Amino acid sequence: MNFLFGSLTHFEALLFFALVVSVTFAFLSKRGIAERVKYSLWAFLAFLLVAIGIGWLMYPFSQ
Amino acid sequence: MKSEALKGNQMLGVVAAFAGWVIPGLGHLLLRRWSKAAVYFLCVGGLASAGLAMRGGVFGAGVADLFDRLGFIADLGAGIFYFLAHQIQSAGPDVAHATGDYGTRLFAAAGMLNLLTVLEAYDIGRGGDDR
Repeated sequence: MNFLFGSLTHFEALLFFALVVSVTFAFLSKRGIAERVKYSLWAFLAFLLVAIGIGWLMYPFSQ
Repeated sequence: MKSEALKGNQMLGVVAAFAGWVIPGLGHLLLRRWSKAAVYFLCVGGLASAGLAMRGGVFGAGVADLFDRLGFIADLGAGIFYFLAHQIQSAGPDVAHATGDYGTRLFAAAGMLNLLTVLEAYDIGRGGDDR
């Protein structure tokens, strides 16, 4: 496992987290494959959008 | 995907919830929700394993700080991955580096995610609405 996850960047870890959590939420809250796929994609993109948005907002404070 | 439904009762709910906590997905396996069992095991197991591989920290029971205690509860949710954390993560945690810090969060997220699946297993086991 170390060779897979040992050197992930913050963004790669975020992608992995968003994917796994989106799929789990879809199975918890939706019925049927089509609904689950749609929800997974929607949640995954929402995770990315919010993370990148917060990153942009915090950027000035990192200087 | 579900095959013939089991007749739900309180005891079945408790057993399924406990099984699902110990091994993510096992509660759903007992309730014959095959696809959910597989997905929950892979997702929770993947997240927990990634957290440990990234040398994330795992909170112990004997912590005084409130946030550490919350971290302990979240980590404990991962069931067997929590109890085997020291065997899986032979090199020990390294939260001095960013990767280790991300790993700590991923492991806690795995525990919280598993607690959600445990609640669902309990609900299905006692005959609640199955999504």
